[in-house]
Amino acid sequence: MQTIGDEPVYEVFARRAKGEPLRHVGSVAAPGDALARVYARRIYDEESWLEMYVVPRGAMLAVDDVRTEAVDAHA
Amino acid sequence: MPDAGRGLLDRPSALPRECLAPLADLVVALADNKHALGLRYAEWCSSGPTIEAGVAATGMAQDELGHARVLYGLLEELPDAPRRSEHEWSAADARTIAFVETPFGSWPRLIVANVTLDRALAAVLETACDSRYLPLRARARKIIEEERYHAIHGQSWLDALGAEGPDVRREMEAALAAVWPDTVCWFGPDRGGVLACLVDAGVLDAAGDAVRTRFLAQLTPALDAAGLRAPSRAPLPWGRWDEHARRLRRG
Repeated sequence: MQTIGDEPVYEVFARRAKGEPLRHVGSVAAPGDALARVYARRIYDEESWLEMYVVPRGAMLAVDDVRTEAVDAHA
Repeated sequence: MPDAGRGLLDRPSALPRECLAPLADLVVALADNKHALGLRYAEWCSSGPTIEAGVAATGMAQDELGHARVLYGLLEELPDAPRRSEHEWSAADARTIAFVETPFGSWPRLIVANVTLDRALAAVLETACDSRYLPLRARARKIIEEERYHAIHGQSWLDALGAEGPDVRREMEAALAAVWPDTVCWFGPDRGGVLACLVDAGVLDAAGDAVRTRFLAQLTPALDAAGLRAPSRAPLPWGRWDEHARRLRRG
């Protein structure tokens, strides 16, 4: 079972103004999506972000790994 | 329901005379409890179970102290209302419920306050979001917008702590038993007791049983989902309810 202090990490992305790129602004550890959103809003409140997203770190795919898999598949 | 046809009230002199004292009492009790809740949350700024939790508690503390400040601002224009400010706040004459008068002592107790008193005060302010009395309506809408995050915070932590095991659940059930009578009585008896005239005047859209039912319909399933037993539905202790201070008499 997941214990407090050992929660999954969410990466936080935000956009400051229309037309600007979505930027990585930091990360939070939280037991679930809902609390990750609350924490991100509280911790990264230094600007009035136009929009903000949290992404579970586990959902991020390393591009290097994809290339290796593709190369392996054709080897 | 507020009757739009009766028009909006933009100043205290437009309020029915019999509404002035109950409105002032309600605002003082709302603000005093929010101020005390803010101080209690703030005690966890640097000692939450995780850094993120501490930051969230700090944010909720700032919100609650801010809500108290804007609500105290309402008193300035109400005739004969007590004067309050966050700078001259005194626990001794604050109209607070017992649960927020001493430090929570544990994170599970803080979460119980988050899902009970914090939500109950929000439920009362929700009844003012379409108030005919504009100074209250504007403030209530702003507060309710911020309270959405308190609700998500409380619900998420309730689920997380409920899964921590029987010891934590027992501690939370003890805290629930302590905060329950004041919280569930807070909406007032029957049609709201002294608040009923505020409903009749369209200052609030509901009070008493109607708001209590709405509040419990959200809280009870949340407690069930976290594996917690709600305190028994024994008759509420109305004999000890102080309508002026909005809390149960002690002793």
